[in-house]
Amino acid sequence: MNPVLMSFLGGLFILDKYAIGEFGLSQPIIAGTILGAIFGEPKTGIMLGAVIQLIFLGGLPIGRDIPPDAQGAGIVGVGTYLFLKNLNPQDSSLFLAIVLALTAALAGGAMEIYTRRLNEKLYHQFLRKKAHLYLFHYLGLGTAYIRGFVLFFAYFIFARYFIIPGQFLKLNPQLLLIIGIGAGIANGCYLFIKKRTLIFFIVGGLCSLALLVL
Amino acid sequence: MQLGFTRFIKLLLQNLFIQTSWSFTTLQGMGFLANILSGAREDKKELILNNHKGFFNTHPYMSAYIVGAVTRLYDEGKKSPDEIKHFIAIAQTSLASSGDLLFWETIRPSLLIIAVILSLKFGLWGIFGFIIPYNILHLYHRITGILDGYRLGPDIIYLLNSARFKKVQQVFEIVGAIAAGLLILLVQWKNNSLILIPLIPLFISMFIYRLPATFYTISIILIVIIFALL
Repeated sequence: MNPVLMSFLGGLFILDKYAIGEFGLSQPIIAGTILGAIFGEPKTGIMLGAVIQLIFLGGLPIGRDIPPDAQGAGIVGVGTYLFLKNLNPQDSSLFLAIVLALTAALAGGAMEIYTRRLNEKLYHQFLRKKAHLYLFHYLGLGTAYIRGFVLFFAYFIFARYFIIPGQFLKLNPQLLLIIGIGAGIANGCYLFIKKRTLIFFIVGGLCSLALLVL
Repeated sequence: MQLGFTRFIKLLLQNLFIQTSWSFTTLQGMGFLANILSGAREDKKELILNNHKGFFNTHPYMSAYIVGAVTRLYDEGKKSPDEIKHFIAIAQTSLASSGDLLFWETIRPSLLIIAVILSLKFGLWGIFGFIIPYNILHLYHRITGILDGYRLGPDIIYLLNSARFKKVQQVFEIVGAIAAGLLILLVQWKNNSLILIPLIPLFISMFIYRLPATFYTISIILIVIIFALL
């Protein structure tokens, strides 16, 4: 496992965010699980992917609005944790990985603005050379990939060599999951709860409680 | 008038790349132009290239409906490029809001909650709870979008009232509501789990007051730090 390989794979996943198809493979729960499985830690990939997914469930890419980069955060969260825990205790690695993932969501959103400005230059080139429409259009794959690769590589190279000080903060995985569940339920209520669907939310909640008791 | 299999495949494959060169100036403009050119007749390509160089933006999956309809309009040759641009301007707005509501706000989050629950409970295979149903619906709209767009032309707009939009949205709102309730299943009840009770209204209030996404993300970082200090 090395930062270049992980960044290379992360860059491929991030193409799915908007450059190719949008099949949903870049979503944190999907990309996190697959990356975790590739590097022999599927449970870690699922847990971190799930938490980041629930936190950013309602991040909607509508019109010109660019929400935080949830997809980038998922990949950074899983990748940095896998690197950090090689040299550091698990609880403090988990804390640092989730904080880095959340900062990556903000950094990724900012980098996306630059990517789209680069794409503007491609568009102006196309206006000068109309016969090369497809060339300038597909160069957008390059700008999207490079954005992902640069973002991931910066985080992964840091995580690969960083030694966490002994007194550093530690995070219990259960508490992290509670934050994810809280954000997920809040997102779910905001997106789905209306007068006619409230009863279904209550049914879901009661089923959960019944299953927990059983 | 027939679209033909080869042209359909070209339009469909190119439609998967409609957002590749997304920019602030034209949004999906270059992708849309590349898409309609991929299925256009040779004698129409120059006309299309000269008339559709500008702004275009709609929901990526729903763009297939407009691509199909525009291909039809250029094949028929009855409408002027200005009339076609007028149709595009109307259709892209209507389909954008329908697509955002259907996919980004309903189908995707509801299936993602299900995938999260399945993955945390049953492991690796849980992700297919999202990948398979989501892409069946996604590709259904891309494929039928091109075919119905070509069949109906500008009348494609009237499909927005059909079951494939309204009924599916209603069904997934219910699925999402149930799935959100089922998230409680993931809690391992211990003393510290009670923190969940104030967290949910805190997050909901952030969404209701539409606080900026950056503020929300920084708040979560602070909550993580507070939890680590406990």
